[in-house]
Amino acid sequence: MAVYLDHASSTPVDARVAARMAEVLRSETEYGNPASASHGYGDTAAALVESARAQVAAAVGAASTEIVWTSGATEANNLAIFGVAQYYRERGRHIVTARTEHKAVLDPCRELERRGWEISYLVPDREGLLDPSQVAAALRPDTVLVSLMHVNNEIGVVQNIAAVGAVCARHGRAWLHVDAAQSVGKCPVHFASLGADLMSLSAHKVYGPKGVGALAISQRGDASGRGRVQLTALHFGGGQERSLRAGTLATHQVVGMGLAFELASKISSVETARIAQLQQRLWQGLASLGGVLRNGSATRSVPHLLNVSFEGVEGESLLAAIRPYVAVSTGSACTSAVAEPSYVLRALGRSERLSESSLRFGLGRTTTVEDIDTAIATLSREVSRLRKVSGAAPAA
Amino acid sequence: MNYSELTRSYFETAAHAGELSGPGVFRGAAGNHAQGTWVQFDLQINAGAVAAVKFLAFACPHTIAVAAWLAEQAVGQQLQPTLPESLPALRDRFAVPIEKMGRLLIIEDAWLAAVLPAIDSRA
Repeated sequence: MAVYLDHASSTPVDARVAARMAEVLRSETEYGNPASASHGYGDTAAALVESARAQVAAAVGAASTEIVWTSGATEANNLAIFGVAQYYRERGRHIVTARTEHKAVLDPCRELERRGWEISYLVPDREGLLDPSQVAAALRPDTVLVSLMHVNNEIGVVQNIAAVGAVCARHGRAWLHVDAAQSVGKCPVHFASLGADLMSLSAHKVYGPKGVGALAISQRGDASGRGRVQLTALHFGGGQERSLRAGTLATHQVVGMGLAFELASKISSVETARIAQLQQRLWQGLASLGGVLRNGSATRSVPHLLNVSFEGVEGESLLAAIRPYVAVSTGSACTSAVAEPSYVLRALGRSERLSESSLRFGLGRTTTVEDIDTAIATLSREVSRLRKVSGAAPAA
Repeated sequence: MNYSELTRSYFETAAHAGELSGPGVFRGAAGNHAQGTWVQFDLQINAGAVAAVKFLAFACPHTIAVAAWLAEQAVGQQLQPTLPESLPALRDRFAVPIEKMGRLLIIEDAWLAAVLPAIDSRA
């Protein structure tokens, strides 16, 4: 198998998480419906769910009562964006987001545009960073929501969410939603301190299972007197999760997410430093090829992601050449036979060609020095070969 | 994207990649880097036959594989104002997706840009 350097897409389930989930699945007492209050089986399952809720809340600096389970960050983003838009539709129909957001934010925003809302798409600087003053300038009296990600999923830059939170609080009418799917376990995440009103979370980015996530919904009021954020539910049918997300909870999934988040919150500075050293080793190895450009800020980013563009190499060929050896994500959306360049890199001002010839390396707990050296050796060999084929380097 | 065994083989080997120079060499190119596909053929012509072929390609694996195969197949053949194999046949041979047919046209344009002057020079 190829060396796995795509932890930003998904992570392997931690063995301790998998074991705990299996325990729940095999248990003769934990299979009840958490919503069944009429017997002990339900009580047992409900206790597991609430324990996991407390674990997730503690990991992100939230109160347990602020956590609503979802199927993942995409659903959490949809619940936040559509939920606020619907609830406050009489107050205003303007939303602020950024061009570099994940599709799970941009697509709901585009759908709202089709339904008559106005969306302002902020453009980051060439390093991928937004200045909070851009948010302030975009706010209008009818703005009801600002939706920005904490850590960008393609380039790893960390936005100054706390400053944006202060901007929103001063505005007094716009709620702040933060997609933090890439943040937990990679950088400090504290819901209250960030000033976020809503925060999307995902388990499978944090060595937990796929198919479960959460939306943190602030229960804080603020000095502006706007009260607490309210949402209109998207699902109906059972009143679960304070009637915000109907449906029987998957006990083993939320238990897995709870443990995964607890483990992530205990990641040591030693491990973070190890990842940073690996990223630096990877960058230095790739940069030595020449014609390699780093995408996104090198200083305001998490060490777990490295996004680079290779000059003189066609993107699809690059990915095809390294695919047997290294598993990474490309800057192209290869959902069709003909790839499209990354809209995130295009927003940073990269050309279409350089956007297509970019690779995202996602480092994680299982990444070793040997993995990094394999990646460097593979890229060195294949980039050199493809540059010779394209005439960008002298043929042998 | 998945590639056929033949496509992957010619893409990975990319034999005949490079350039030729000197008397009797005819060069043709088509496409451009900015649009994502550029192909160049150098044909060494000797007594009306193709003596050697080299190619360069800034292109996807299908395009590189087809260009490499054409370069291999053409050696020893008499000059013809066509590709050594038709576009539909190349498409089938390398399982080229229909969305990429435009890239085969670029290969054909580059090939003819090298071949036609060679034929004209003999007229």
